[in-house]
Amino acid sequence: MNLPLYDFLPAPLWLINILHIVTLSLHLIAMNFLFGGLVVILLGRIDDRWQNPAVQKYIKLLPTAMAATITLGVAPLLFVQLVYPRQIYSAAIVSGWFWLLIIDAAILGYYCLYVASFKKSLSSSVAPLLWVVVGTFLYISLIYNSVFALAENPDLLRSLYTGEQSGWTFNPDIVSWIFRRLHVVAGAITMGGFFFGWVGRNDNSAYRAGKQFFLWGMAAGAVFGFVYLFTLDKYLLLFMRTPAIWALTVGIVLSAGALHFYFKKRFIPAPIMVFVSVIMMVYARHQVRLLHLADSYDPSSMPVQSQWPIFAVFLFFFLIAIGLVWYMLRLLLAERSRGE
Amino acid sequence: MNYPFWDIDIGYGWLMGSIAILHVFISHFAIGGGLYLVLAEISARKLNDTFRLEFLQRLSKFFVLASVVLGALTGVGIWFIIGLLNPAATEVLIHHFVWAWATEWTFFLVEIAAALIYYYGWKTMSARNHIVVGWIYFGAAWLSLAVINGIVTFMLTPGDWLQTGNFWDGMFNPTYWSSLFFRTGVCVMLAGIYALAVAAFFKPDKAKSSLIRYNTVWAVVGLVIMAPTYQWYFNSIPEAIRTTAAKAMPTVISRISEGWWLGLALTVLVILFGLVIPRWYHWVVGVVVMVLGFLVFGEYEWMREAIRKPYVIYGYMYGNAIEVSDVGHLQADGMLPHIAYRTGDDGADLFRRACRSCHTMDGYKPLKPKFDGTDEAFIAAMVRGVGVMRGNMPPFVGTEPESQLIAAHIYAQTDHRPLSEVFGLSGVALGRMVYEVRCGTCHQFGGYNDKAASLAGLSDDDYNNLLDMAGELANEMPDFTASDEERAALIEYLKTLPEGGAR
Repeated sequence: MNLPLYDFLPAPLWLINILHIVTLSLHLIAMNFLFGGLVVILLGRIDDRWQNPAVQKYIKLLPTAMAATITLGVAPLLFVQLVYPRQIYSAAIVSGWFWLLIIDAAILGYYCLYVASFKKSLSSSVAPLLWVVVGTFLYISLIYNSVFALAENPDLLRSLYTGEQSGWTFNPDIVSWIFRRLHVVAGAITMGGFFFGWVGRNDNSAYRAGKQFFLWGMAAGAVFGFVYLFTLDKYLLLFMRTPAIWALTVGIVLSAGALHFYFKKRFIPAPIMVFVSVIMMVYARHQVRLLHLADSYDPSSMPVQSQWPIFAVFLFFFLIAIGLVWYMLRLLLAERSRGE
Repeated sequence: MNYPFWDIDIGYGWLMGSIAILHVFISHFAIGGGLYLVLAEISARKLNDTFRLEFLQRLSKFFVLASVVLGALTGVGIWFIIGLLNPAATEVLIHHFVWAWATEWTFFLVEIAAALIYYYGWKTMSARNHIVVGWIYFGAAWLSLAVINGIVTFMLTPGDWLQTGNFWDGMFNPTYWSSLFFRTGVCVMLAGIYALAVAAFFKPDKAKSSLIRYNTVWAVVGLVIMAPTYQWYFNSIPEAIRTTAAKAMPTVISRISEGWWLGLALTVLVILFGLVIPRWYHWVVGVVVMVLGFLVFGEYEWMREAIRKPYVIYGYMYGNAIEVSDVGHLQADGMLPHIAYRTGDDGADLFRRACRSCHTMDGYKPLKPKFDGTDEAFIAAMVRGVGVMRGNMPPFVGTEPESQLIAAHIYAQTDHRPLSEVFGLSGVALGRMVYEVRCGTCHQFGGYNDKAASLAGLSDDDYNNLLDMAGELANEMPDFTASDEERAALIEYLKTLPEGGAR
């Protein structure tokens, strides 16, 4: 029986990769705003913490940031599943319960955020709620890191499944993901410092706290990142031969540049540099995945049956969506500023 | 069979349902609620009705909390769960419909942004701009439904796509439009009954009565759209599927009629308390109406999922992720060489691939009670003949030795005592049980594949001959391998069948 095949890519691989990398970068930025900002609020040296206008403003923004994190997280998950379904679903199944609990954790974290942001006046009583949010984020990122690392190790995946099929298996190859995870967490705190200082740029203690986390987070992220590179072991040399090494270099330089402009309170070049550096890091990560899977799977070998008319529909509505969001934000902000 | 199998005690149906049901209700409510908010706001502003405007503002807070948080995350949850429960089907859907999903994501993006701006804009935006944002919200939410509806209906009625593989054939499949209109009705109905439930808590006065009447109109309009479009939807399902359901799925058919009765009860209740005596719209009525509304919609969703059996994508992939196009070569090669993730226990691996997506041994749709007190040869024969059992089971696509491996795996978990001991029965009662266990799965008296007419009124010798040659009557028939005691009890029972088989 000649039924339609499904082993194909509905667009050239490069296009899917670009969409994945860009949308994942946007997701990471929203997530870092939220998670990193919370860490700064909870741990930073901020005068009169809960009455500080920067803290109050930031907390009001958090549910929106959460909505952005989730919404922007859907697209990269879609695109990465399109290219690596067998690796990702398999790893997710082996850690099935941990994977599924991500949804519960996200719901819990989201509602805690709303409870905190709906409070008429902030006090130290919101701290436990915010810590719960931080905890849920740490859980979610832990599972993501471990599952995606497992997806890149087919031999380990098979042996883990042979031993246990109930979905309660956690990736035991800690070295493969712990430093990347620490790098990601440090990166999120770096960005949180950046955003918090930006939002609180008119408040000395808020700006100072943001600056400290931006600086030391970046230093810690760099250390963990380098250690992670060395844990790549045999893949390190291969990695050095890919364009990703240049992307990584550009990312590091741009991060340092962002730090420079941020310290000078120049808030136009700094975020641009941060955004581009995130894209570079995500691209480098993408190359690492390709290297890990090179022996078992080459996505470029997948036949391409482009669905251009439908892609055009997507592109059309994507542009409309950006336009509409911009238009609605303009309506909201214009009237709000008139009101003020 | 490219994936590991998530072997959990909870039935896949329950797990899927627990996330999907919640999401489906919230997402439909979110669409209808969007339309309700914007139209109610226009009307309230025209009338300068501050009571209603405050009510809408409160409603929109809940709306954000329900749709933006729970709706969005359970939507992501559906993605997570389908990838765990049936990754192969998810892979098919993603490869064919990724741009549809991506397009839906753009609507989702607008929907979430608009919901938040609408909520935060109550006090800061002008009435006109606020209403514009409300319309944008509703438009994006409904378009999101229009896209997802294509993928959901595709799974039951892929239509010409099975021949062409063309995206548009799959998207605008035979049940697309009827389902879209029906779901639009559901959205309106859910918005109405939710707004009714909230208003039910207000103290009884003129303003409440007016609000209750207004909300009732929404619920009734939704129900009025739902009734004909439901029938339209059902009629758009290819006749072959409906015929199989009518013949072999009595539960599906009874759910359909239950749905109609529940819908009628809901309409009567809503009209009575909402239009005739709105002052009496107590919160208990609000809750009952809401539960009824969910049940009506739930019956539809349940029917849609159940009638698709034995497929997950009709005519393309079975519920156990076996592709229809693979049946031939799997029957020749066997399943084992094609199972990518093996555990070393072949029986268990085969059982997972062939049966476990829909059955557990002890919990959800359990197999143990069906095979307690039987034997390996009988179980193996049942496994091999599973495809003709009720017309809603996938065929067994492995080899004979593989069916024996599955049988051994199942048998090891069953009660090995004779049926008389397992159930404490003897005589005709034991015979009836023997019939139910060994024959009744495929031949229901008064139901599917009824053989009562040809079984009634035979002599002992005829019954014995029939049982001796049972395995030769048809390819899928098992040999009669029960004990002499069970054989005698079965014959005793068959002799009680009335002449002609009428019961």
